[in-house]
Amino acid sequence: MNIASIGAATSSPLARLSLAHRRVLFSYVILLAVYAACIAVNREFLSWSTLRLQLVQAAFIGIIAIGETFAILIGQIDLSVPWTITLSAILGSNLAVQYDAQWVAFAVVIGVGIAVGLLNTLGVFVLRVHSLIWTLSVNLLLQGVALIYTNAVAPTTRMPSVARFLALGNVGDLPVAFLVWAFCGALAIVALRTLPFGRYVYAIGNRQAAALLSGVRLGRMHAIVFIVSALGSAFVGLLLSGYSSQAYLGMGNDYAMPSVAAVVIGGTQLIGGQGGYVGSIAGALIVVLLQAMLITLNVSEGAREMVFGGLLLTLAFLFIRRSR
Amino acid sequence: MRPPESRRPTGQHGKGWQRLGEYAGPLSCAVGLVIVIGCYALRQPLILSPFGLTSLANVSVALALAAVGQSIVLLAAGLDLSIGGQITLINCVAATTMGNSGFSIAAVVVVSLLIGLGTGFVNGVVIAYGRVEPLIATFCTAFIFTGMALIILPRPGGSIPDGFAFALTESWGPLPFSLILLAGAVLVVWVPVFGSPLGRYIVAVGDDAESARVSGLPVRRIELASYMLAGLFAAVAALFLAAETTSGDPSIGEIYTLNSLAAAVLGGVSLSGGRGTVIGPILGSFVLAIIMNALGVFDVSAFWQDFIEGLILMVVLGLGGLRLLAAGNWLTLFHQ
Repeated sequence: MNIASIGAATSSPLARLSLAHRRVLFSYVILLAVYAACIAVNREFLSWSTLRLQLVQAAFIGIIAIGETFAILIGQIDLSVPWTITLSAILGSNLAVQYDAQWVAFAVVIGVGIAVGLLNTLGVFVLRVHSLIWTLSVNLLLQGVALIYTNAVAPTTRMPSVARFLALGNVGDLPVAFLVWAFCGALAIVALRTLPFGRYVYAIGNRQAAALLSGVRLGRMHAIVFIVSALGSAFVGLLLSGYSSQAYLGMGNDYAMPSVAAVVIGGTQLIGGQGGYVGSIAGALIVVLLQAMLITLNVSEGAREMVFGGLLLTLAFLFIRRSR
Repeated sequence: MRPPESRRPTGQHGKGWQRLGEYAGPLSCAVGLVIVIGCYALRQPLILSPFGLTSLANVSVALALAAVGQSIVLLAAGLDLSIGGQITLINCVAATTMGNSGFSIAAVVVVSLLIGLGTGFVNGVVIAYGRVEPLIATFCTAFIFTGMALIILPRPGGSIPDGFAFALTESWGPLPFSLILLAGAVLVVWVPVFGSPLGRYIVAVGDDAESARVSGLPVRRIELASYMLAGLFAAVAALFLAAETTSGDPSIGEIYTLNSLAAAVLGGVSLSGGRGTVIGPILGSFVLAIIMNALGVFDVSAFWQDFIEGLILMVVLGLGGLRLLAAGNWLTLFHQ
């Protein structure tokens, strides 16, 4: 905050907040507005059973959004999400059945996550290809791997019970998926705010050359960020396979851009260096509520896509415009 | 440490080398194209016949048109993730309304081009005047355009008159009409635009928008123009696809978003704006499209196609970065 804005800040309490805080506040204002709109469309949104469903869906988007927030904060983006989800779900369920052990599914999640993360780091950091296009290409490669694998081995219909518990189980009145999200989200916020990791992330996003000269290990940081992102997607793959009781080709297709949208609506700047995970939580809930509201409206697929795009665009226009 | 005047890797060479460096993308694509067609011809000599060349041109031209449109936006430091959505929308409109008479065909072609300008206008207004990030704005408009296409044509169908299809996909001797269409689009749109101040302004805005603004350029109008031009190229691509498939398909445009970006990057267009040629993305599109088409000829199982496509993209994109590994000083990398 510069001196001029401190002088002007005495007039309104809102102006006293920094720009970053105002963006996060805005994202929660949007969340309230979207929730109010949902209730206006359908009273069902007041009931806990409906809200529970939305919390589970938001947990999927929100867990992916952790890695996506990190990636966007360092000025990159990870669009290899869809087929990381699918590949980990199909491999995980198949191998868990084959070896008849639950832990195999987790081993697959970790293996796929680390492999995809390192592959993304190779292109984005070592070879310096733009992350937008490199991660999309990796996504295509993973799609190919999934196709080749399912051609050789038919996907199983028996999902590991741990996946079903994580996605469908309850602790008291709260869904397990939501609790997992809350735990991971809290870790992400603590990591960004209090650990050296967080300071390095913001440093890289603000100016990479300065971060390098200050002794930040850029390669290691890129690797951590992309591995966290891929691990999140791979883990959501496991959750989704339990949630829908099947692992199928294309199951992750609707998760990449919604999670990016969640991060951006949450006030994180796409150029990197500004924002955080607190806003992304609101972003994930907003995206999920919008999708749910459109489904209850019972309109055709085309109209639903149009309205989703239009609403998201309106939100972006109203709240997260670039300065200049 | 390099001396300060050679911060860019190309700076240490003479001016000739520098100019060659600018054309590294197009040149490597041209070499790649010769290799790809050579390998293809070894396996299937018929590909060098007029019929074979026409079919090669036909599988590549739609991507080339999309990539040229994408490149205009990239030159202005923008990004258009809605290219595929625009192609889908216009393809569906054309396939459902074209009819059979000469007048209706001409009317639909004009209307399609206008829709392209219109979708580009929407993108441009939202990004240049609404100040929404290009990535998120065109992601949203892509949903809108695809949604409209789904309303117009929920499943593949519609029809395209044979005359229109022939006029775009047949050949005159060894010269495919599709190449004439591509050359025409470039000559009628790209050459005049980039020969005029507007073209230089687009590059100036892409290179450094703030400097361009301080120099008194109407940055917003220039950005708007770049998206409208991209929409126009998307419309031509959509009309060509309609002629090639003689029908409409509400999912036809999907692959053109990533592939147009990839072709532009292969052809040496910078994703951060201000640098690129027109021949680069065109050659890049031909390389990509022909490789993907050739996989069938080389008995590659359909299940392996996506894997190989992804691998080829990654290898080709990665090759461009290999020379950076030789950079003596890390800081030189940040001045790219």
